[in-house]
Amino acid sequence: MILSVRDFSIGFQREGQNLVAVDGISFDIEQGETFVIIGESGSGKSLTGMSIAGLQPQNAFVSGSIRFKDREILKRPDAELRKLRGPQIGLIYQDPLSSLNPVWPVGDQIAETLTAHGLAGRDEARKRAVEMLERVRIPDPHRVASAYPHEISGGMRQRAMIAMALAAGPSLLIADEPTTALDVTIKAQMLELLAELKREMALTIVLITHDMGVVAEVADRILVLYAGRIAEVGPADAIMLQPSHPYTAALMTSAMISQTPAKQELNAIVGGAPGLGAFPPGCRFHPRCPRAQADCRTVEPPRRKIGAVELACHHPIAAAVPLATARN
Amino acid sequence: MSVSTQPTRRFIARPRGLLLPLALLVLAVLAAFTLLPGLIAPHDPIALAMADRLKPPSLSHIFGTDEGGRDVFSRIVYGTRYSLGVAIVIVFASALFGVVYGAISGMARQGIDNLLMRIVDLFFGFPALVLALAVAASIGRGLDSVALSLAIIWWPGYARLVRGEVLRLRKRPHVEAARALGVSEVTILRRHIIPFVVEEVNVRVTTDIGYALVAVTALSFLGLGANSPTPEWGLLIRDSRPYFGSAWWYLVFPGTMIMLTATAFSLIGDALASRRAA
Amino acid sequence: MALLELDAVSKTFSQRRGGRAVQAVAGVSLAVGKGETLGLVGESGCGKSTLARLALKLADVTAGRIRFDGIDVTEFASRRMLPIRRRLQAVFQDPLASLNARMTIAEVMREPFDTHGVKLGANLDSRIRELLSFVGLENIDLQKLPGQFSGGQLQRIAIARALALEPEIIVADEPTSALDPSIQAQIVNLMLRIQRKRGISYLIISHDLDVIGHVADRIAVMYLGVIIEQGTATEIMERPLHPYTQALLSAAPTLAARRQAGWKRIMLSGDPPNPADVPSGCRFHPRCHLARDICRTNAPELRAMPGLGQMVACHLAPEETARTGAEVGRARRGMQAVG
Repeated sequence: MILSVRDFSIGFQREGQNLVAVDGISFDIEQGETFVIIGESGSGKSLTGMSIAGLQPQNAFVSGSIRFKDREILKRPDAELRKLRGPQIGLIYQDPLSSLNPVWPVGDQIAETLTAHGLAGRDEARKRAVEMLERVRIPDPHRVASAYPHEISGGMRQRAMIAMALAAGPSLLIADEPTTALDVTIKAQMLELLAELKREMALTIVLITHDMGVVAEVADRILVLYAGRIAEVGPADAIMLQPSHPYTAALMTSAMISQTPAKQELNAIVGGAPGLGAFPPGCRFHPRCPRAQADCRTVEPPRRKIGAVELACHHPIAAAVPLATARN
Repeated sequence: MSVSTQPTRRFIARPRGLLLPLALLVLAVLAAFTLLPGLIAPHDPIALAMADRLKPPSLSHIFGTDEGGRDVFSRIVYGTRYSLGVAIVIVFASALFGVVYGAISGMARQGIDNLLMRIVDLFFGFPALVLALAVAASIGRGLDSVALSLAIIWWPGYARLVRGEVLRLRKRPHVEAARALGVSEVTILRRHIIPFVVEEVNVRVTTDIGYALVAVTALSFLGLGANSPTPEWGLLIRDSRPYFGSAWWYLVFPGTMIMLTATAFSLIGDALASRRAA
Repeated sequence: MALLELDAVSKTFSQRRGGRAVQAVAGVSLAVGKGETLGLVGESGCGKSTLARLALKLADVTAGRIRFDGIDVTEFASRRMLPIRRRLQAVFQDPLASLNARMTIAEVMREPFDTHGVKLGANLDSRIRELLSFVGLENIDLQKLPGQFSGGQLQRIAIARALALEPEIIVADEPTSALDPSIQAQIVNLMLRIQRKRGISYLIISHDLDVIGHVADRIAVMYLGVIIEQGTATEIMERPLHPYTQALLSAAPTLAARRQAGWKRIMLSGDPPNPADVPSGCRFHPRCHLARDICRTNAPELRAMPGLGQMVACHLAPEETARTGAEVGRARRGMQAVG
């Protein structure tokens, strides 16, 4: 087990009130798997991902435990966590421009990951930076290494960002919405690249997204977050083919748009996700849940296990319509 | 001495802690000085009293007296409406003209826009001091001459700012959406562009008042502005020159007043800007 | 007769500092009939957003004609466009950005009526309420500002505003792309409902093939400023004939297809194209695995496929692409390939 999260909470102070964005979640990530955290706006997925890397916002307060390779990393001083970022934990974002410094050549930035952690001298680091660019399938890596971020195309910037995250050989890669703003064909390229790199470098990947297509393609295990709480967590096949939590089921069906006959109304969940500070009592999904009953409105649902899947629901869907045989 | 009308872009940090309340306090004091000088100043700012000349600060003359025996504090109080007043008039007038000019240029076709901006460039390049001298030479020295020359120097900055903002806002999605709805260009300017521009202009106006004040007092110091016995701050400093060594209060207090006022406006401008950036 | 027609429309932007002109749109012809939905699909740099702006007369064409209900509006200035605009409305991608952040919802909803001189007097407020109700926003506070609403709510407000004057056609530029997946489904349903009840036509522009495939009657695929394939939704989704369309469809298959072991997608090499640097001959040839010499020198015309419904701009279609097309169509739906 490479990462273990227990009772993790993160919140903010706003106008004197304590607003809890993520509320006591616990999960494990096994080495070598692709663990996907799914959620929509307000679910707290990005905050969770950032907290694993120790990069939660400065004004946030956290509690609970995050153990990486059996070492506690939550609430450790930044100086200690900085040693992890790079050699142990790599990070990629939705927007490469936010992780690439516009006034430095790309190759130098990648090299810095190595020199900053004392993994190589300047010349060696530059050489390895070019190798890394080649590894992320950038044609003409020497040119790109001496170019500035704005001089290379968007697709190449994406890859350069991946190269920078993986240059120091981390074992865990956190990807926060890496494909969200991308074109379909580029998205496909990126997923293939990540799959190849995962194999070559024996990575564990934590991928944060709201794109069901991406989840379907890469996930080994899934964590479904809703309004700061876990809805469902477990093996991807089990959850996707037979979602037990009504929210997961609704997400799956609204993603199966191509299997709904054309021009027919989709199965959409009503309403919208609650904002921070406006979470309903009891089960946070109850206002939108077609199966909600009295206890859902008042009592927080307990965590229970159904096979290999853990979920938090008072009235889970017993035998859901499996994904593979949905109407077609 | 160069009269800077183009403050460089700086990081917009919200004034922390006591700075902003202090700045607002200074503003309140200045307002009192401008509106009710008679109530605040203990002495007549103009009448001579040679017996008390060049007295150091004391209980009856908290800022000392000048070479005519006049209370420096009272002169400063009465001088506010000249120094600060003229600065405000200059900034408001040039802002008004510049906003209209810049809005027209920003909304106009590229050809007209280019022409209007070349005219602005012309004004930009003009050395402020030379212009001030020329204006003073033609209509005589005095605060009105200073006001005119500074307004001529100042308006291009607003024109450029507004034109830039208008150009930027014209491409915004909400403006395109309004156009798709059929809203006329004039109404788009009024409803969808100007309100956003005004925010930006307000920030600039506030900071500029401080800069204009320094400019006005500087020109008066050079002899181009107010004439004796007007208690204008720059003139006070000019008059204090022969007494630099012996009567320190004569220079220090007016100078400090200028500095405090300019800083206060600058801080308030920063506060406005940081709220906008938030 | 088509309601909205773009006839050989081109748009070229000249670069400020010299350099080559940017051909955002090159000779595109499209037509949207009454009550039908035309989906325009493409990725970044294909020119679809520029085309949307041309169709809405937010930008002038460099060549070609635009016709609305038979009237040539290409040269119409804003005054003459006003009555046309009443019938041709728009919904944009980012609902928060397309509303004036300083206007209340009441003011936002009043704007179309004010602009077109529709005076309802005392009935205005109830009409506004009715419109908002129709899009599912019964009890919202009209005095609030856009920033106080969620993305989904804002898009509904934008749609309500577009419906205010009872238009005949709505041009929707990426109407769901900026929204969460569960909200996307809601907006898709809303747009379908509106079409059923009001018979409105849509020109929907999107990069999301799932959405387009679901709502469109006909689909046009755009690449680097030109239409490379055009046909009914069924033809395009089940048997795409242009290699680019095939790659597009195979890149975004169904969930079931993705989880099937052994499923392979058609990968495109290279980066998305740059409209400032248009390749010679067929614009797609640098990324096409089938490219021949003729592709590098001759630009293929959009022509009807013998025996098949759609129009394709490819030298090698349908002979060399039909089989892949059928496979992609099947694989995408998660069915096993035949043979």
